[in-house]
Amino acid sequence: MTLTAPQTQLPPAPPSGRGGGPGHRSAARRREALTGYMFTAPTVIGFLVFVLGPLVAALYLSLTKYNILTAPKFVGLDNYVRMFRDERLATTYGNTVLYVGAAVVLINGFALLFAVLINQRLPRALTYVFRSAYFFPYLVALVYVSIIWQALFQKDTGILNYYITAMGGERIDWLNSSEFSKVSVIIVDTWRNVGFAMLIFVAALQEVPKDMVEAARMDGANEWQVFRRITLPMISQATFFNITITIIGAFQIYESIIVLTRGGPGDASRSVVMYIAEVAFNKFDMGYASAIAVTLFVIIMLVTLVQFRLRKSWVNNE
Amino acid sequence: MSNANVSVLPSRPGTGKTVRRRPGVGKSVSVALLVIGAVGMIAPFLWMFTTSLRDASHAYDLPPQWLPTEWDWSNYAGAVSGPVPILKNMFNSAVIAIAVSIGMIITAPMAGYAFAKLEFPGRNSIFVGLLSSLMVPAQVTIIPLFLLMRTFGLLDNPLSLILPGITGALGVFLLRQFFLGLPQEIIDAARMDGATAWQTYRLIALPLAKNAVSTLGVITFLGSWNAYFAPSIFLNSTDTATLPLGLVLMLGPYGAGNVAQVMAATTIAIAPALIVFLVAQRWIIASLTQSAVKG
Repeated sequence: MTLTAPQTQLPPAPPSGRGGGPGHRSAARRREALTGYMFTAPTVIGFLVFVLGPLVAALYLSLTKYNILTAPKFVGLDNYVRMFRDERLATTYGNTVLYVGAAVVLINGFALLFAVLINQRLPRALTYVFRSAYFFPYLVALVYVSIIWQALFQKDTGILNYYITAMGGERIDWLNSSEFSKVSVIIVDTWRNVGFAMLIFVAALQEVPKDMVEAARMDGANEWQVFRRITLPMISQATFFNITITIIGAFQIYESIIVLTRGGPGDASRSVVMYIAEVAFNKFDMGYASAIAVTLFVIIMLVTLVQFRLRKSWVNNE
Repeated sequence: MSNANVSVLPSRPGTGKTVRRRPGVGKSVSVALLVIGAVGMIAPFLWMFTTSLRDASHAYDLPPQWLPTEWDWSNYAGAVSGPVPILKNMFNSAVIAIAVSIGMIITAPMAGYAFAKLEFPGRNSIFVGLLSSLMVPAQVTIIPLFLLMRTFGLLDNPLSLILPGITGALGVFLLRQFFLGLPQEIIDAARMDGATAWQTYRLIALPLAKNAVSTLGVITFLGSWNAYFAPSIFLNSTDTATLPLGLVLMLGPYGAGNVAQVMAATTIAIAPALIVFLVAQRWIIASLTQSAVKG
């Protein structure tokens, strides 16, 4: 794919850029257009082959019955109808929606709290240390942090239960009870993603005009009023962005659950993506798996479009 | 939120113009909260590291020892010589991540430059089309991609991860943003001097984008190094597995593996992220936040 680069060596431009007549100019324009197509060709080809093509194929497959061994058989909307009767799908979608809700509230809540705290005039080195500490987990693979956490979550040997019992609490079955398996997934998800959302909030907080805040204080507004009436509206773009990112990310939650609970007990912590992978690659029910994946795509597309709309209207209101 | 009650505290006289309602007490509460949060962020990594230095029989010693009690590196030797070929897996991860990063830092800047600085029919619609691919979750395309790779005999082959990885809309978007900020006069001047479009790009524009390109390279490398979903579906033997797959194998079902060795392997696996973090934190943060805030 990178081979296109040398081919863009075009004949040298005419010595004088402005001397040429209209014919000359359109030749230059054609050459520029050709260069544009060549520069974008690898990316466009990659997009067609690895994104658009597969997306169209997934939409088609979702209308078929296909087990890999025999050719796909067109079944219309059967797969979509089947979803309404699928209790495991209801369970896994229910779990996923819970993860999404928890992610939106907890990640953004903690992120905003820490961002506001960090945005005070702390010594530079301190700000740097805090920012680094909160951001680091985000750079580490979710699989790796989940491996660490599953050790901390062990019922009899884990550190968390040690401190809980030391403070007089009961041992919690973090990974094998139907309630706490979900809680564990949520804890790891929040812990890993809070730093990124925090950075977005910090960047936005720094753009809030100081004189505006000062003026409000002069007029007798208290800190809460300043935060509520000035800061929050001023960072609304970052908030929309963070909410969108956390929604999209949580709908796709997968590998942390594989490591922590394997979806169990039963389906108690299983996410919809785990269910898609199971239907597709263990049961080879490609048509039905594609249909479920399409519902996920539609949800994510709608969330993105809504965010895009809100963002636009916010900009227009400025 | 915690600031809400701060304003009732008396302000300190003479500490400067803007400190009026930000007395020291509020600040030390903030610092205390931030310290608690930071400890929570770092403690799991600390536990990982100290456990990797202990004999497996002490891995779950309670009360937990947060500092290394011994400096026993044998778990590292044990991790790389166990039944899961961790070193081979690491090599596989590195090959894929390097190939994907190199591909990306060639294709994305070219496309980003074209979308920012070259005129061609359909430019904006193509760009919007590309950007819309950011809305397509990997889970939707994974089944057709699996079938595609199977048709071309690329399953269990690193190419199944490299080929889809060397182009991508996010990098194009980041680099387009950069090139949009580049003054048109620089481009025009080069063209006046007789440089071809390719020369203008290669000799003038691209060198100026060095930081943006490095950031893209680092982000792409880490993304590939950390990836689990697609590798777990395309690769199915321990010899072709990437490091995250190898570690999950090593951990075994329900965390039955030797925990000290698993933590040693995890420490090794995290090292690239730590290096990137120490070297390039500033750039990464800047480029990740710009799209959200400036939009």
